[in-house]
Amino acid sequence: MSGKTPITPGGGGAIPGPAGGAAPPSPPPPPQKDTYTVLFDGKPVEVPRNVNLIEAAKLAGIEIPHFCFHPRLSVVGQCRMCLVEIEGIPKIQAACTTPLKEGLSVKTKTEKVVQSRAANMEFLLINHPLDCPICDQAGECKLQDNSFGYGDQRSRYDERKRQYAGFDRTMIGPHVIADMTRCIQCTRCIRFCQEIAGTGELTFLDRGGRTLVWTHDGRPLANDWSGCAADVCPVGALTVKEFRFRSRVWYLEKARSVCPGCNIGCNISIENRDSIVYRFLPRLNPEVNDYWLCDYGRFLSESLNVRDIQNASAREGDAEVRTHVPGAIERIAGKIRRTVDSTGPTGLFFLGSANLSNEENFLLRKIADHLSCGNRDAIVDESRLRRMKSRTVWVEGTHAASNFAGAKDMGLSPLPGGYGLQDVLSGKALPEVILVADAAFSKIADDPEKVEILRRAGFLAVAARTANALTRAADVVLPAASLAEKEGTFTNVQGRVQRFDRAFLPASPIRAHWEVLLLLAVALGFGDRNWTPTDLRRQIQEQVEGYADLTEEELKGGILMKKGTFVSVGAI
Amino acid sequence: MSEKVLLARVGRERSRSIETYLEDGGYAALRTVLTGGWTPEKLTDEVKKSGLRGRGGAGFPTGVKWGFVPKDTKGKPVYLLCNADESEPGTFKDRLLMEEDPHQVIEGIILSSFAIKCRSAYIYIRGEFYLGARILVKALEEAYAKGYLGENILGSGYSLDVTVHRGAGAYICGEETGLIESLEGKRGQPRIKPPFPAVWGVFGAPTIVNNVETLACVVHIVNRGAEWFAKIGRNEKNSGPKLYCLSGHVNRPGVYEAPMGLQMKELLFGADYGQGMKDGKKVKAVIPGGASAAMLTEEEIEDCPLDFDGLAAKKSMLGSAAIIVMNEDTCIVDAAQNLAKFFSHESCGQCTPCREGTPWLHKVLTRIEAGEGRISDIDLLEKISNQMANGMTICVFADAAIAPVLSSVGKFRDEFRYHVEQKRCLVGPRARDRELVTA
Repeated sequence: MSGKTPITPGGGGAIPGPAGGAAPPSPPPPPQKDTYTVLFDGKPVEVPRNVNLIEAAKLAGIEIPHFCFHPRLSVVGQCRMCLVEIEGIPKIQAACTTPLKEGLSVKTKTEKVVQSRAANMEFLLINHPLDCPICDQAGECKLQDNSFGYGDQRSRYDERKRQYAGFDRTMIGPHVIADMTRCIQCTRCIRFCQEIAGTGELTFLDRGGRTLVWTHDGRPLANDWSGCAADVCPVGALTVKEFRFRSRVWYLEKARSVCPGCNIGCNISIENRDSIVYRFLPRLNPEVNDYWLCDYGRFLSESLNVRDIQNASAREGDAEVRTHVPGAIERIAGKIRRTVDSTGPTGLFFLGSANLSNEENFLLRKIADHLSCGNRDAIVDESRLRRMKSRTVWVEGTHAASNFAGAKDMGLSPLPGGYGLQDVLSGKALPEVILVADAAFSKIADDPEKVEILRRAGFLAVAARTANALTRAADVVLPAASLAEKEGTFTNVQGRVQRFDRAFLPASPIRAHWEVLLLLAVALGFGDRNWTPTDLRRQIQEQVEGYADLTEEELKGGILMKKGTFVSVGAI
Repeated sequence: MSEKVLLARVGRERSRSIETYLEDGGYAALRTVLTGGWTPEKLTDEVKKSGLRGRGGAGFPTGVKWGFVPKDTKGKPVYLLCNADESEPGTFKDRLLMEEDPHQVIEGIILSSFAIKCRSAYIYIRGEFYLGARILVKALEEAYAKGYLGENILGSGYSLDVTVHRGAGAYICGEETGLIESLEGKRGQPRIKPPFPAVWGVFGAPTIVNNVETLACVVHIVNRGAEWFAKIGRNEKNSGPKLYCLSGHVNRPGVYEAPMGLQMKELLFGADYGQGMKDGKKVKAVIPGGASAAMLTEEEIEDCPLDFDGLAAKKSMLGSAAIIVMNEDTCIVDAAQNLAKFFSHESCGQCTPCREGTPWLHKVLTRIEAGEGRISDIDLLEKISNQMANGMTICVFADAAIAPVLSSVGKFRDEFRYHVEQKRCLVGPRARDRELVTA
């Protein structure tokens, strides 16, 4: 068995049941070896046992074109695009429905296979509109890709194309627009709603050449993950209203990021162009959000484009005047120094945020440490329960920001003898200086009564992107970056430390929160102006319990987990 | 004329009632098996020895099929489904059996259920057979009342329930996995095989699906022995009595019983059967096994035994033994277009080649029939057909759909050419238009 190509197992789905119902008969007892040797076009390849043939081929570097197959949805074998020849079976076979076994010999390049692919492409296109220039799916359309790769340039179809009057360009839910003239009846959306969302809003109606996908009884496609139905749609039949016709997808840059919506921390791709965020798409992480993203998180994308605070400003008497960032930093540092000199560090209060990265919260804590100030806190609003299906379990999100766990880990809780936000709000403590590292830390910041209490401090400084009651009340406001404009790590509800990348630079003079905090630290005689988030991460590894194992390499995969903190709600 | 076995009681007064059935020796086979010490294995062996092949269309040996039920079902029940969806155009034999002699069918179901250790059987009956469903329900009530169904049948300790389930009108629900899906309350769409129903059938349990006529045959195999059954017919691979559904341009269409392997010419022209062509016209084409069987020409029906292997030798099939006869006035293009329309209407829509291919074939044939075809369309029909079947789809519907198209284009190409070139029909106005012309 020489010349084998070793392949590392990836996440993948075994073949679930036939089109009808539960799983097929239970597989034979677990074998000793966890791989099979499969021949692809005569070349032996070791593949993991628990993947579909299409995925196994992909691992071997062979593309088997397909439409209806999706790694997390049941296998229905009905698009017929993945047909291959299997040695020993006279008829051509669908790869997705062929169980892997030792010695399976798969032929993907024979004339019969090539012809069957061309035939399927011809069949799929006879009724599909050939108007890609006006279709929003263009550029990320499997039909386009497979047509280009495996279809013939010319069609022999000469009749009228099928129309679905009344079933075109119709909103079938709050976010999804359906256009059945573009549908290729792959049933991925139906299976998503049935098997992942568990809500089953979509179904096939009618049959044969008149088959269409629609909602049951006209009830809307309104589950918490409805955008994913459009994600899994390989063509332009289901599109997301919020993104439709806003940008051609090939103009979009992608940045690896983490959803800011809740403490599940779903992995996303921030799709942007010219410093504007156009959409979030889920980014595969089998342990967190798998292939999915909830609608709430998905449509937070637009909120990243909101910017009220463009410049640093400072209050001079009753007037708010524009200033520059170094000047504003110096005002804060000066006030802190004077307060320490006069009343000692007990007059200072530092408030972090679950919206900020571990690096930023860590830096804030280091500033407090440097000043020997134990008055520090980070709070987060509870949110409605959010649920996300990872590969194996449902993960639950309970809080309205991604980094609640991380903020606490970084040491943003009152030290013994110090006080926290509740003490300030209840009037038990009255600091002289309050530094709020993120003005959007909670709904409290937009509650005039609560803000009035915070305002009692002699000096209130905030870093902010959007305006609220707190920024209007502050003595110094520093412009700060959005999630898309900075990098860092969040720690999710599972204790998983996940890195997010910067999608684009903020417009000057806006800076990332960590830069603002670093400027302040330097002004207070601490830290190094040249520190980067990577340097801060290194310090976190050395100084924060449970974070020692973090390596940059692992963080790139975004799947490093703090030991012993895995939280789930039971396997399904 | 040969002895009637399956149709022996058809035509008898009150043939549907259990009283007349018992008078005629009904439920004797059941008594033999349940009180005569027969084991399920013995019954299965007997059916295997008889050479009985499935009468639904595929002709798979029934006893062998029963043997596919796993010995250890891991606590799952075994189901028998009686396929009474009879939806193949030209087929009306099961309907006759159910409407005229329902107890013969029910006895067959009980015996077969016993053979596969099934405690719950279903009759999946075509939705349009409302009368048949009513008759079956009444007959089941009678059988329950007499103790042939229910708990502890004839004191044997064997229990069985039979339920009638009416379909909602889809050809594809006659395909066994489509039937299973439909019975489960889902869309009638064939499943991916394997797993086969004998291992993973209805409700995820081992399931055997048998045709009505097949089940009726089991009664007579028990009563008269496997050897008797095996001797009927042309050879041991094509054995037993067979019902033939004769329709079309013959003098006497109808359901005829004959030993398997009856000559086609005998069925068409024999005094006991079709009694010749209507108005003395010539035969142009014959569809021997329902709409999904390839057409045969007049030459091909010479020495054409109507059984599984006889028709396979002529590259057609016995199918459901629905013999549709077309005379010399029939426009083959019209016939092919009509059949293509049927298959286009009935495709379930899950597989791309069938969902898109069947309407395409219909559109091209419609164009040719309307005199708007191009000469290239004739080749196109063959090319479309050849890229739809032979593994391109989950089930064999597409293979069925292309059979009439490929056989008509292949055997009557000149007629298609005439249609395209002359923009009219070789045989004059279509039959349905002819009356308008003469009137």
